[in-house]
Amino acid sequence: MVQVKAKLQARELQGAVQFLRVASSSMAERLQPGQPVLIKVGWGHDPFLRRTFYPISLESDAFVIRVPPDADRGRAWLRMAPEGTELDCLGPIGAGFTMPTQAQRILCVGRGESSWWLLPFVNAASDRGLAVTLAVEATTRRQIIPARDLPLSVEYHVATRDGSVGDKGDLTPALPSLLRWADAVVAAGPMAFYQQLRYTIESTRTILTRGYAQVLVATEFFCGYGACQSCVADVAGGRRRVCLRGPVFDMVDVFRS
Amino acid sequence: MLNLAPHNKLGLDIQSPLIAGSGVVGFGDVWPPGLHAQDFGAIITAPISASPRVGAAQPRLVETPGGFLLNTGGHNPGFRRVIDRHRTTWRRLSTPVILSLVGGEPGDRAWMAAHLEPLEDVIAGVALPISEDVNLSEAAAFIAAVRRATPLPILAQLPVTRAAYLAKTVLIAGADALIVGAPPPGAYPVRQGFIEGPMGGPAVFPYTVRALRRLADLDLDAPLIAAGGIYTLDDALLCLEMGVSAVQIRGLIWRDPAEAHRLAINIRPFMPQVEEIDPGET
Repeated sequence: MVQVKAKLQARELQGAVQFLRVASSSMAERLQPGQPVLIKVGWGHDPFLRRTFYPISLESDAFVIRVPPDADRGRAWLRMAPEGTELDCLGPIGAGFTMPTQAQRILCVGRGESSWWLLPFVNAASDRGLAVTLAVEATTRRQIIPARDLPLSVEYHVATRDGSVGDKGDLTPALPSLLRWADAVVAAGPMAFYQQLRYTIESTRTILTRGYAQVLVATEFFCGYGACQSCVADVAGGRRRVCLRGPVFDMVDVFRS
Repeated sequence: MLNLAPHNKLGLDIQSPLIAGSGVVGFGDVWPPGLHAQDFGAIITAPISASPRVGAAQPRLVETPGGFLLNTGGHNPGFRRVIDRHRTTWRRLSTPVILSLVGGEPGDRAWMAAHLEPLEDVIAGVALPISEDVNLSEAAAFIAAVRRATPLPILAQLPVTRAAYLAKTVLIAGADALIVGAPPPGAYPVRQGFIEGPMGGPAVFPYTVRALRRLADLDLDAPLIAAGGIYTLDDALLCLEMGVSAVQIRGLIWRDPAEAHRLAINIRPFMPQVEEIDPGET
């Protein structure tokens, strides 16, 4: 974990959503898919807390974060910050996704905004020559990753609740066949989504085994190094600090009581 | 070198007037990038209770104007496990370690203090946070009970809004130094309801300054440690000018370790100079 001053190098707009390219080779070279970065927002002590971002693209000397519009004044500052602004970044936090050593067919599955956080893993797995399927469900097309942002080799399934893109509804009908195909799963979404995913895995493959599914337990962090205890989650048989044990957990641990 | 417990035969010597507040480095086992034990005159551990506490469920943290509100619910693995896991770490640290002991049942803190005897060469003192709602006799009773249980220096952490009211009583009961103070509790709305707990951040600093002003009028014969809302060198120097021996930081380390490191370097020349007191004189 390092604290660096990184330059806000470029801003790309897609509607109301901003994609910010943050240049810092010392941070970028440490980041693994699924690991967040904490960015200080504002010029002084207010807003006080750093904002948590899960990069959606990792390069050798920079990373990209996605900032959708919302009412948060900290992220509003970031959206207004001019290019060239020095951003105080703390990270990477905790453990990210690990590339399964035995698997050849990987299903990446996400819901809503969180599905963007799978992109670095999707790219890394595709670069390794693994067969990757990305399945995403969202409320509307605004949250959907455009197919052009994915490697050509990645198979892409989409479901939107309003039916504006892909299947209408959610991924429930598509998941059983995808899970039968996959020999590893990587997921990002809310806990309710993981419960549904676990149920489908157990009904499709009989048993959820350790090492089969990794899930990102998204939370906001304060210190990021295990001291403040603000990021605890009830996982792995207890109330654990996500910044030390996660944020990526084996799905078996997430549901271990 | 400054002694934070001049009336105690064991003393509590610190090399820097900057103290890492309760839990900012966990039990001395988790450190932010760029900060080291030698940056601090002492570290205070996360709160330790006699038995394990799972702490509060989520959400625990919310941002408030000018700060934050954090309620961990006293999350800790319990006294025995903390001692077993971390005694080796404390022995290795190059700065004094102060254990923050929190109560549950009456007598818990005295029980824990009594069990520190084998560690008296490792631990420099105990910090005892006093809650907002105790009265004078309750505060005196538990400080005195801990005093009887251990010769280690006792740092009583007073609630910032009642510091002047409690100060003399806890000193008479046996405290060696006063931490001023425990941040004021607050409540703030979140999506799931409210979070209630101690406040933090620069917004708390005026409470600390007010408490220090009131304590200055009492002419106490004990070192004071300022805590709460200290985020800049100017904040720290103001506290030192008001007569404190040391300042404690917490949120600054969590938010900005590099800034905390700069403060650790810049505050060293302002180490208060005090005359050595012979413990036999008291």
